[in-house]
Amino acid sequence: MTGELHMLVCLKVVPKSEEVGVDRETRTLDRGHARSEINPPDMNALEAALALKDRYGGRVSLLSMGPPFVVPMLRVGLAMGADAAYLLSDRAFGGADTLATSLTLASAIRKIGNVDLVLCGEESSDGATAQVPPGIAAWLGLPQVTYAMDIEVERERGHVLVTREIRGGEEVLDAPLPAVVSVKVSCNQPRFMDMDGMARLDSDDAVTTWTAGDLDVNLSHVGLAGSPTSVAGLREASQSAGRRRELVSGTPEEEAHILYEHISEFLRSAGSRTQETKT
Amino acid sequence: MTAVTEAATSVPNAILLDDNRWDRVLAATNGEAAACYQCGTCTATCPWGLVAGPSIGVRSVIREAQLGIDGWADSVWRCTTCGACEARCPHQVPIGEVMLGLRSLAWRERTVPSGLANVLWDMHWDGNPWGRPPSARSAWAAGLDIPRFDPATHTTLLYVGCTASYDRRAQKVARAVVGLLRAAAVPFGTLGDDEPCCGDAARSLGNDAYFERIVMANTVRFKEAGVASVVTVSPHCYDTFASHYGAAGDQFQVRHYSQLARDLIAEGRLSFSGFDATSATFHDPCYLARHHDETEAPRAVLGAIPGLELTEMARSRAETLCCGGGGGRMWMETPADERFATARVREAAATGASYLVTTCPHCISCLEDGVSVSGARDLKVIDLAELAMLAGCASASPSSTEAPHD
Amino acid sequence: MIDPAYSPQDASGIWVFLEQHEDVLAPVSVELLGKARALSSQSGAQLTGLLVGHNLDALATRTACLDLDRLVYVSHPLLSQFTAEAYAHATAEVILQQRPNIFLLGATPYGRDLAGRLAVMLRTGLTADCTDLALDPESALLLGEVSGFGGGVLATIKCEQHRPQMATVRPGVFPEVVIRRETPAPVDHIEVDVPQAACPVSVVGRRRHAGVDVSRAERLVIAGAGTRGQMGPVEALAKALGAEIGATRVAVDEGWAGRERQIGQTGVIARPRLAVVCGASGATQFTVGIEQAGLVIALNQDPEASIFEQADLCVVDDLFPVVRALVAELESHNGGAL
Repeated sequence: MTGELHMLVCLKVVPKSEEVGVDRETRTLDRGHARSEINPPDMNALEAALALKDRYGGRVSLLSMGPPFVVPMLRVGLAMGADAAYLLSDRAFGGADTLATSLTLASAIRKIGNVDLVLCGEESSDGATAQVPPGIAAWLGLPQVTYAMDIEVERERGHVLVTREIRGGEEVLDAPLPAVVSVKVSCNQPRFMDMDGMARLDSDDAVTTWTAGDLDVNLSHVGLAGSPTSVAGLREASQSAGRRRELVSGTPEEEAHILYEHISEFLRSAGSRTQETKT
Repeated sequence: MTAVTEAATSVPNAILLDDNRWDRVLAATNGEAAACYQCGTCTATCPWGLVAGPSIGVRSVIREAQLGIDGWADSVWRCTTCGACEARCPHQVPIGEVMLGLRSLAWRERTVPSGLANVLWDMHWDGNPWGRPPSARSAWAAGLDIPRFDPATHTTLLYVGCTASYDRRAQKVARAVVGLLRAAAVPFGTLGDDEPCCGDAARSLGNDAYFERIVMANTVRFKEAGVASVVTVSPHCYDTFASHYGAAGDQFQVRHYSQLARDLIAEGRLSFSGFDATSATFHDPCYLARHHDETEAPRAVLGAIPGLELTEMARSRAETLCCGGGGGRMWMETPADERFATARVREAAATGASYLVTTCPHCISCLEDGVSVSGARDLKVIDLAELAMLAGCASASPSSTEAPHD
Repeated sequence: MIDPAYSPQDASGIWVFLEQHEDVLAPVSVELLGKARALSSQSGAQLTGLLVGHNLDALATRTACLDLDRLVYVSHPLLSQFTAEAYAHATAEVILQQRPNIFLLGATPYGRDLAGRLAVMLRTGLTADCTDLALDPESALLLGEVSGFGGGVLATIKCEQHRPQMATVRPGVFPEVVIRRETPAPVDHIEVDVPQAACPVSVVGRRRHAGVDVSRAERLVIAGAGTRGQMGPVEALAKALGAEIGATRVAVDEGWAGRERQIGQTGVIARPRLAVVCGASGATQFTVGIEQAGLVIALNQDPEASIFEQADLCVVDDLFPVVRALVAELESHNGGAL
């Protein structure tokens, strides 16, 4: 590996999960009232990149696909210590499923060039598929390591040693650079913005915005047009944003029985936020 | 590597002094630590000596930071900025500010304890250090119909603060303060869900750069909202606005609600029915008693409640024993056997009082925890406003035609 | 739209990826076979299990006795350890040859890695972490039900033009139904070519978890002040639920649980699927630790306790008899462990 280490972090801006609902009439997603945030696992990916930069030197670029309101979020990443930020913003990119999304991001990564390590959060809080990191790796023909908890760079060999979580334990993988690594949520504590970096929150420059025309992509392969999967139906889950506060009463035995029924129904159905069943 | 460095690294236990570090500490502490002549009065005064064997060792912290000795940062985070040390320092070293300056250095060097970055992220994304949604900020006022602050009709902005807005226990205090204001017919409003965080947590945790951004943003907001006079629920918010908003803070007058209550009582606009012989003792919040020399306003209110017998603890007024919640400590963990509040509650219980009265949301939280840990079950921790409401407050002079000048 | 690798007209059969560890099939794979059989019975499609690895002849023989119509066993020395790149390379080759209509995998770390990479290599759609699968009665398309936004929203996803229609399913979603065939299914042993270049990643080490990390616990039983130190019932409930034990700050302070189990602002922020909170008042500093929990059950004697604002199911009662009764109920049902 020659030259400095160039790490690229993919960030997604998502609505805060607990604030999203479904419009009962139109049966579409009601994100209007939800505040936006940087997908929490992506903050862990950014922290991982910045920690690697502290340790090995190099630079960190941010990449995101979304509407212009993402720009202030990218500035937060710059204030934390990233060096450059790129936003892919175009109506043509909208409505993309994971195939089209990973294709678009991969194309931008190629354009940015000289990337040694692509870092992503393990999954996003909205779709929660975890498919984009392996997808990016496949489009770029790069090795992938997911659910990383610790990353070490062996500069001379041009490899990374990644400790990652698997069911019931961990394994250590050795991958040549360039590679795509997705990090486990909460694997680190994202640093606060640098005291000197905070000024970047107010700066108009430092974020490069690209449209579909700036990328080497076939328009029919991006966005909704490029998505093989589509939504056939949508509904609000019974256990949704905000707690139910349902009172359970009766004798202790009756209460226990009701709890048992709820617990078994819940564990068999939707709503996992945890590592175990997502990995 | 220079010859000196080479020589130093070959000597066991040698510490290589870094001139840059000395300058960084000097800069971070505005040179204030330079006046310290290592007398140790601060160390002897610090409440940490009461609860844990070794005190913070204030003077060693400063020395170690100056010399760049490993581990200097650990003690710095234990400081609650109670001000007891600086009240006694013969050279008037502003020790609290020195501690915060050293914390600022820790942020730059990234040696901040685990979890504190999250507190600041909560402030950045949610506008409060508790990580609660902005849309829930005025939930505490449900059913009270508190108007949005309007400079044309309101003489005072009630600044609730993040803790009283979101903490369930402290919300009761906010409601009691509203009760007092209404009893005295004070025309007031709040900024509702748009109330910004005063920034105290950022300042107390030492992130001066972030605090300055908050000050600038709030200064604009208050100006746009036409705020001229502010009353706070918490002494910490009061202190932040009064002492740390710089020139911006001169744009508006700020008081703690106990000070407004004292004035209202003096003007005959607030009085109380009282109790049948109820005993109380008063815990002075550090941020009123020492940081602002304010010890009499809460006592004036207590004194105006008929039937209330006030017994003072030995450590009262400027001698008050810190509850342990200041200096950002509300966001850090203190082992149960090292909490100042446990000792304080024992002092309170020893007076035989039924009520331990205070007037700060952090003190309430720490003291109630102290009651729980020390098992002083007969002692009830209560806020001044809550006690006043319990005593039955009434507005006096209903026919007064004098325009209120709160 | 990107061109499909092969068209729906050329696609047939339902395939299930059979994940294995040390010669044992992963439970999720057996669960998937059961569901796939139900789907294939509906549509008349052939059900094929896909086993990938090396030196798995004995496992292949045993697996051929499960309820499937055919077993495809793909082997190569470089497939003896799972890496996404090598497995995706081998699997893609076989799928392009054999052209299944539907390809299902377990949503495990390996399964998700493989599926994500494979979907791009095959230029097809992948529906991840399905909580249910069905066949559309009219179009015969695979319908995958998924949740998003932390479980708040349920969507049904389809993949119309691209093949194979891929989906991953969480372990435990479908029941494990083991039906044995009278005669073993035919086994197609395919030796693929896996060049070294297709295996850039090597596994350097593996270890099992030691010690308690409540932040990773999927299920938590949390002890608060109201338990008054009687950890016996709490431990019994945790055991019956397969849960870890957490504690509030008060409980830790009192010495009833170690500090590594403290949940909350200054303790651990946990993300359990299930949290049963026993005797905690619900101070903000604690509840932030379980905000992301899927289902929160709170037991507290005090009807005013603020924990009830942060719970889905609220039991205002003395927690001990309820906990004991719940343990009894769980133990009586433990044939179908939760």
